[in-house]
Amino acid sequence: MRAGERRFGGLRQPLAVALAVLFVLPLWFLVAGSLREPGTVPPRTPELLPSPLSTAAYPDAFDLVDLGRYLLNSLAVAALTVPPAVLVASWAGFALLLLAGRTRLVLLAVSFAALMIPVTALLVPRFTLYRWLGLTDTWVPLVAPALLGLSPFYVLLFYWSFRRLPSELIEAARLEDVRPFTMWRRLAMPLVRPVTVAVALLAFIASWGNFLDPLVYLFDPDLYTLPLGLRSLAVLDRTNYPVLLAAAVVATAPVVLAFAVAQRFFLHEDRGAGWLGR
Amino acid sequence: MSVVVEGLEKRFGSVVALRGVTLEARDGELLVVVGPSGCGKSTLLRCIAGLEAVDEGTISIRGRDVTRTRPAERNVSMVFQSYALFPHLTAGENIGFGLVVRETPKAEVRRRVADAVALVGIAHLVERRPYELSGGERQRVALARALVREPEAYLLDEPLSNLDAGTRVEMRTELRRLHRQVGATMVYVTHDQIEALTLADRVAVMHAGRVRQVGTPDEVYRRPADRIVAAFLGTPRMNFLAATDAGAFLAIPEGSELGVRPEHLRLDGDVPARVELVEVAGGDAYVHVTGGLVARVPADARPNEGDEVRLGVRGADAHFFDVATGERVGS
Repeated sequence: MRAGERRFGGLRQPLAVALAVLFVLPLWFLVAGSLREPGTVPPRTPELLPSPLSTAAYPDAFDLVDLGRYLLNSLAVAALTVPPAVLVASWAGFALLLLAGRTRLVLLAVSFAALMIPVTALLVPRFTLYRWLGLTDTWVPLVAPALLGLSPFYVLLFYWSFRRLPSELIEAARLEDVRPFTMWRRLAMPLVRPVTVAVALLAFIASWGNFLDPLVYLFDPDLYTLPLGLRSLAVLDRTNYPVLLAAAVVATAPVVLAFAVAQRFFLHEDRGAGWLGR
Repeated sequence: MSVVVEGLEKRFGSVVALRGVTLEARDGELLVVVGPSGCGKSTLLRCIAGLEAVDEGTISIRGRDVTRTRPAERNVSMVFQSYALFPHLTAGENIGFGLVVRETPKAEVRRRVADAVALVGIAHLVERRPYELSGGERQRVALARALVREPEAYLLDEPLSNLDAGTRVEMRTELRRLHRQVGATMVYVTHDQIEALTLADRVAVMHAGRVRQVGTPDEVYRRPADRIVAAFLGTPRMNFLAATDAGAFLAIPEGSELGVRPEHLRLDGDVPARVELVEVAGGDAYVHVTGGLVARVPADARPNEGDEVRLGVRGADAHFFDVATGERVGS
């Protein structure tokens, strides 16, 4: 028995449940609020289940704004963003692993420095650049950062996980004349699958919840993504909370679904992905 | 001549790992490089493999200078201490991996993998992943992966050091058999002198980045080239006596010290000593006597602690080393 299990003994289970409840409650109130009748006054105290239950807020949300289009737009932008972000971040992370010591150190320092620059600090120069290139009011400014791995954090995450692989594996591959790309594809990536899933999930969330970039770069409502759609809804019907919450549920559902799909990669250890017979 | 290393120098910053190493592993020979931890033996192997760039000197394999070539172009196979098996691949896929990435025809991959697994006796394990294998089985997979390439030389970096004592002895015999069967040139690095002396056609003893002696196991044990080699090989280590103390046993050359292996320190001589400690190690007993000397005697003929014994050394069993240089004196 591990030390933590001994210390908490029988309290472990209730503590876990209490924590889970703490995180689930806001989601519960989100869903419960969306099931009130549209136009009704919000309850004065927390309400576990509204009475009567109604799903009318959902069609209302889709009627008030073009939520279906925004949903598809967001999905399209995420689909264009996540794969290149994962590919480029993992390539960059693997390249960092293979590079000689000094060059690697310099690039790591650059990555850290880039990580520390706030996104808002780059907003004006980026907008100027995209406008000069004639790319505003397109999805390009939303997707383009994925071609650089989306965030230095993802590159560093991949680098750290590749670095955990025993160096002998890479050396054995070098002796077998395995080229870097094959090494990345056939050896490194299968061994860091949980990190790949984590980065994909983070990139998806970043893209899905991105409000600032669409707000700055998109003018045509047909190109709007879901966060902008929610904003439009809030402007159109500011006090109709059931409708706002129904739209929020629609916006949250894909993220919850993505987590549900991804969690098996985190919770179920793929023993084959261990090394040295772990 | 299969693997020849000449004047090899390797530095890591201010640390000099190899100091002018010159060594030759002859065609079909199993050369064991032995030495204490940090002596540079693994660095030497990695330089031969091309995993470390050398600062000076040359490496040639079968007469071809490979000093500046990529590891894959050297056509050597390496067996790592940790086996370095790819954990997400089965044993069979591990063994054939190099062939597959080089786009060898599938039928040939199957044939060569089958030959290699038959050679090391793991045909029944090819579908298993590394985590489903024991240490000895993993080692066999690593050996099969090395064999399947049919390289010009095999480099083995302490391949048995992660195994338990019983499996280690078993694998040692297996390696010897394999070497005889394949007849390939092998350079084998270990810190274990027993492994070195039992496996090798020839042994190279390294210390502080230098090769101190190269010879057959018999030569390096019976006629160590210097005090360092003499002290490193043998359990318990060789007894050394300064000229003042050694005079009681033998007349020794001027400016030298006497070296006597524990098994050659007799207890029926003329020099009185008292037994301080007796350690029984199976069939042998290590008898520690006054003056810090150790004698190795059959366990059933051992004296008791506190006994008075009379030590002696036969002239033929004595080794003399120059006090200043440590080099062997005389024949």
